[in-house]
Amino acid sequence: MDKKFIPKITVFHCINAFSQTSWSSVGGNKFEIKFIKLPCSSMVKDVFLLRAFEAGADGVVVLVCPEGQCRYVEGNIRAKKRVAWVQNLLDDIGIDGRRLSLSNIASGDTAAATQIIDDAVKNMAELGPNPAA
Amino acid sequence: MIVAEQKPLSEIKEIIAPYKKILILGCGTCVKTCFAGGEDEVAVLASALRLACKKDGKEIKIEELTIERQCEDEFIRESAPAVSRSEGVLSLACGAGVQALARRFAKTPVLPGVNTTFIGVLESQGIFTEECSGCGNCRLDIFGGICPVTRCAKKLLNGPCGGSQNGKCEINPDTDCAWQLIIDRLKALGQMDNLRKYIPPKNWCTSLSGGPRKLVREDHII
Repeated sequence: MDKKFIPKITVFHCINAFSQTSWSSVGGNKFEIKFIKLPCSSMVKDVFLLRAFEAGADGVVVLVCPEGQCRYVEGNIRAKKRVAWVQNLLDDIGIDGRRLSLSNIASGDTAAATQIIDDAVKNMAELGPNPAA
Repeated sequence: MIVAEQKPLSEIKEIIAPYKKILILGCGTCVKTCFAGGEDEVAVLASALRLACKKDGKEIKIEELTIERQCEDEFIRESAPAVSRSEGVLSLACGAGVQALARRFAKTPVLPGVNTTFIGVLESQGIFTEECSGCGNCRLDIFGGICPVTRCAKKLLNGPCGGSQNGKCEINPDTDCAWQLIIDRLKALGQMDNLRKYIPPKNWCTSLSGGPRKLVREDHII
């Protein structure tokens, strides 16, 4: 693998699950990250996830509220189903559905957010650059 | 509505393989409602194909458009400029829409992106069920508004058969017995006498087995 590979991660997150301002990257120059905030994770449409990959993301992470705690009742369940659908589509495309992941996260749990993004970066190191970027 | 399902991506890739400029044309009516070919599905398919082609090192230019209905020429005309810019059109409409496009655009290949499956209803969010076979001779008045031709696996007109169990079909226990539904409905309507009527063997000449059908309304022809 190319040692210069710097994974690009796009994070879609519900504003009730995660706040970018309460999170500070410890990644240094190990990865590039872009946050896209949504009023509810149910707003994350299939095409937004795919277009993140078209825009050059190597991995996409969706952060949603814990199950049973969505302010809009079932938004996080909808997001989970869409992510599963798009993971299958990414497999069909041939760029590996593991590049896309969804995690439930409690509001303010920055330690969990850091861990999730660290895991995504490690995952990208294994999968390598997005072959369709 | 006409219910359709998008073809697998691998099949669509094969279908569009000869072309470098394609138009993905959605239809904003039936196939939009069943999540097969509306504006959202056009966008997702276009994105997926761009990613797949880039990964495979193939150059392709994809244009996206959705019109209100692909089975009517008045709406199809709106797509003419986009069609003229493309080598082929991948239609996400039902088979009627694909053929209507082919009729309008004689020199542009029109390719199917969905499999048209049946005439049905939205049973609940995300679940579509077949409820009409388009037999051309509707007798839902006798059957309490429930069609045994479509919904009974044996198409019995003087049912039920002996295989119904707990209101479910013996062919598929997930399927309601159409005749159980008919009897329950006729009871509720106070029309159980309908069951005393003998329904003679169906004349299938009005169905597709009599060849492609045509409806002519002289009063609308000028």
